[in-house]
Amino acid sequence: MSDDPHPRPGAPEPDQTRYVGLLTQVMSNTLDEDYTIVAQREGGAEGPRQRRPVRRWAVLSALAAFGLLLGVSALETVRDRPDVAAERAQLVDQIHAREGRLDALHSTLTNLQDEVTALQRTLVDGVTSDQHLADRLTALGVDSGTVAVTGPGVVITVDDAAGNGNGTGGTILDTDLQALVNGLWQAGAEAVAINGHRLTSLTSIRFAGQAITVDYRSLTPPYVVEAVGDPDTLPARLLETTGGQIWLSLHANFRIRFDTGTAEQVTVPADPRDHLLYARAKGGGG
Amino acid sequence: MIAIAGLVIGILAGLFLEPSVPEGLQPYLPIAVVAALDAVFGGLRAHLDGIFNDRVFVVSFVSNVLIAALIVYLGDQLGVGGQLSTGVIVVLGIRIFSNVAAIRRHVFHA
Repeated sequence: MSDDPHPRPGAPEPDQTRYVGLLTQVMSNTLDEDYTIVAQREGGAEGPRQRRPVRRWAVLSALAAFGLLLGVSALETVRDRPDVAAERAQLVDQIHAREGRLDALHSTLTNLQDEVTALQRTLVDGVTSDQHLADRLTALGVDSGTVAVTGPGVVITVDDAAGNGNGTGGTILDTDLQALVNGLWQAGAEAVAINGHRLTSLTSIRFAGQAITVDYRSLTPPYVVEAVGDPDTLPARLLETTGGQIWLSLHANFRIRFDTGTAEQVTVPADPRDHLLYARAKGGGG
Repeated sequence: MIAIAGLVIGILAGLFLEPSVPEGLQPYLPIAVVAALDAVFGGLRAHLDGIFNDRVFVVSFVSNVLIAALIVYLGDQLGVGGQLSTGVIVVLGIRIFSNVAAIRRHVFHA
């Protein structure tokens, strides 16, 4: 390896003192210089070296110590090996377990996400159908009179003829009011009330004694008929109906008051009777 | 002969007595082994060169082991124990290879 593997006892001095590179020095001066120095010193002074027993024992013990180091190191390594291997196996097991857990969690996550998506879709469907139901309920409530209604419409005020006497025919009869209300329905009114009483399909207009009753409550003239509908077309179309014709003739012949006016805002209250007594939906519950 | 006997005695003692190494000294054991290896090969080469000296061998053996352990200890205290160990092992390794090469030349005359 080195250029000069045999450092002679009388090695040239310049080689040792001259600076050489660190690596070169490490590579070339592999032997402890003490050997050469001591050999030089003793080789000059004495002839054959004397080996004293003490030194032999020193070499022996040094080598014994070396052997002890070797033995102990080997033993330590061998002893540690099962521990290291077991530790490693344990770590590998842990890694596998954690990986399995991770996979499980991933699949759980995917399932939950699918579930969330499905539930969101259901929710959207539910909201949509709820909206439909609410719209339908409102429309049905308007039609059946269970919901108070407001909107543009007409206000018709009718009254008995002034100076009304018996037999003159100047009194408004229940049939007259029925004709008027039917005329309004025909003309396209969406909700009708007389003196604040909502008219539904179950409301009766009758003559009881001297007074007209609407839904079994007596009314006194003048009668104010409010109807929600198109204020532009409702009065004209009313006059084209049979009821309208009747009232025109009543007004003309008996001077019965018949004032028709439109209003931007007509409020028709709800019918207080909001449930059916006898009718049940066929097949459906409740 | 006496050298081989010492070696065998030491190895047997290490294997059968199973002396427990203190926890604090365990990191220095491998370095000490390499340093001792260097001293032993150096001694062997000196022997083959005909300039072997008992005292020099014992002193170099003890000092090699102690210095190697000391360097690693110092490195551990400074936080560069691993790098210093590597350095020590590289230098000692080069010396061991060179000495073994010289021994080989002596033994095989090649």
